[in-house]
Amino acid sequence: MEQALILICGIIAIATAIMVILSRNTVHSAMWMVGNCFIIAVLFLLLRFQFIAILQIIVYAGAIMMFIIYAIMMLNLRLSDDSADIVKNLLNGRYLLLALLFIGIVILGVGFGPMALKGTMTDQAMIKFGEVELLANYIFSEGLLPFELVSVLLTAAIVGAIYLAKKN
Amino acid sequence: MVEYLIIPVIKLIVIFSVFLFIAAYTTYMERKVLGHMQMRYGPMRVGFHGLLQPIADGIKNLFKEDLIPENADKTVFVLAPAISITAAVILLAVIPLGPPITIFGRTINLYIANPSIGILFILGFSTLGAYGNILGGWSSGNKYGYMGGLRGSAMIISYEISMAFAVVSIIMITGSFSLVDMVHAQTGLWNVFKQPVAFLVFLISGIAELNRTPFDMPEAESELCCGYNVEYSSMKFALFFLAEYIHMVVFASLVTTLFFGGWHGPAFLPGVVWFFIKVFAVIFLCIWVRATFPRLRYDKVMKLEWKFLLPVALLNILATGMVMAVL
Repeated sequence: MEQALILICGIIAIATAIMVILSRNTVHSAMWMVGNCFIIAVLFLLLRFQFIAILQIIVYAGAIMMFIIYAIMMLNLRLSDDSADIVKNLLNGRYLLLALLFIGIVILGVGFGPMALKGTMTDQAMIKFGEVELLANYIFSEGLLPFELVSVLLTAAIVGAIYLAKKN
Repeated sequence: MVEYLIIPVIKLIVIFSVFLFIAAYTTYMERKVLGHMQMRYGPMRVGFHGLLQPIADGIKNLFKEDLIPENADKTVFVLAPAISITAAVILLAVIPLGPPITIFGRTINLYIANPSIGILFILGFSTLGAYGNILGGWSSGNKYGYMGGLRGSAMIISYEISMAFAVVSIIMITGSFSLVDMVHAQTGLWNVFKQPVAFLVFLISGIAELNRTPFDMPEAESELCCGYNVEYSSMKFALFFLAEYIHMVVFASLVTTLFFGGWHGPAFLPGVVWFFIKVFAVIFLCIWVRATFPRLRYDKVMKLEWKFLLPVALLNILATGMVMAVL
C-alpha cells in the first residue's frame, strides 16, 4: 500500500517536473513547480517526515515559489518565441544522450540504494524521540559543521547576487 | 469503524458547516458594526434587522452571470478562486475548539486533527492562499488586477516573516508545535501576558496578511478599483470573498489559541462557548481597526514591516531566549 503510494507520487512528481520545462508560459511553469514541491512534501509524509514535509511546503511551495512568481510578474515575462520547439530540441541527439546518461545514473543509484538503514533515523527512534527533537539533535551535534558551511555558502551566494545586481 | 470513519466524518461536516455559517455571518457583523460606527444602520431590509442578508447575498451571487474575460488565461482564471478557498478551509482541520466532551459514552476531541506540527501547518497553508490572489490578478489580463496581485505577493512575502517570528516565541515558551499543547500550556496565565510584544506583532502582521483595511494594498478600491478580483463575477467572486472571511475567522481562532488561552475560561460556561466568545471579540477588533484607520501608503506598509515589526520580533525572540536561559 505504502510502496504503491510512493510509486504513484513519484510518477506524479516526475510528470510535474517535466511539465515545468514543457509549458510555454512562465507562470504555468512556476505553477507546475509549486505542484512538484507539493508532491515531494507528500513523499516526505509517506516516509513519516512530517516536519520536513511541512518545511518543504512552507519554504519551497510557500516562500521560494512566491518569490519566483513575484519576479516573473515583476519582469513581465511573456511567451518566449523559441520555447515552441522545446519538444523538438529535447529529441535532439545530444539531449537524448544526456537523458540516457541520466537514466543510467538512476539505475546505478537504485541498484546500490536500498541497503540496510544506518544511523539513528529509524522508525522506532522517531516514535521514541519525536522527529523534530531527533532532527535538531542531529543537526546541532554531528551535522554542525556541514550545517555551518551551508550557511556560509548561502551568505556568499547572497553577496554574489548583490554584486551581480549592482553592476547593472 | 465508528472510531476511524463515522466520528471523523461527522466532525468534518459539523466543523465545516459551522465555520462556513460563521464566515457568512461575519460579513453581516462587519456591515452592521461598520454601519453603527459610522452612524448608519447597516443592512435592515431582509429579515429582522437584516439578519437574512448573507443568505440573500449568496442567492444573488448564484444567479449572477459568470464572465470570463476575453484575454484571460482561462485555466488559471478558474483555478485561482479554488486555490483560495481550499487553502482557507484546510486550516480549519487543526484548530482546537474546546476540551474533549463526552457524547453517548464516547470521548470526542473537538478538533479534526492534532498533528505534532500544527502551527507550522497553519503557517504553511495560509501562505498558499495568497497564490489564489496573485494568480487571480495575473490571469484576468487586467492591469488593475495585475497590480493588485503584485502588491499582494510582496505583502505576503514580507509580513509572513514577522508573523512566523512572533509564533516562534510562543513555540519557545510552550516547547511544542501542537496547538492543543499550546492551549494546555496556558492553563494558569494566558500568553498575551507572557508575550505582549509577540501578541502585538502577530496581530498587526495578521491583519496585514488578511489584506484588511489599514493594509488592504491588493484591493485598494480608490487606486486599483478592487484589485485582484476586479474581473471576477458570480460564484468565483463569492469564493474569493468567502475565503477572505474564513481566513479572518481562522486568524481570530489562532489569536485566541495562541494568546488568549484557547478554550480556558471561568467554569460557568463550557469551553467551546468561551472559545467562540473570544473569537468574536477578535473579529470585532479587526472590524474596529478597519473603521478607525485609513489605508497606509504602499511604501509605508513595507517600511513598517522591514524596519519595525521584523526587528522587534527578532529582539523579542532574543529576549525570550535570555529569560528562559536565566530562569
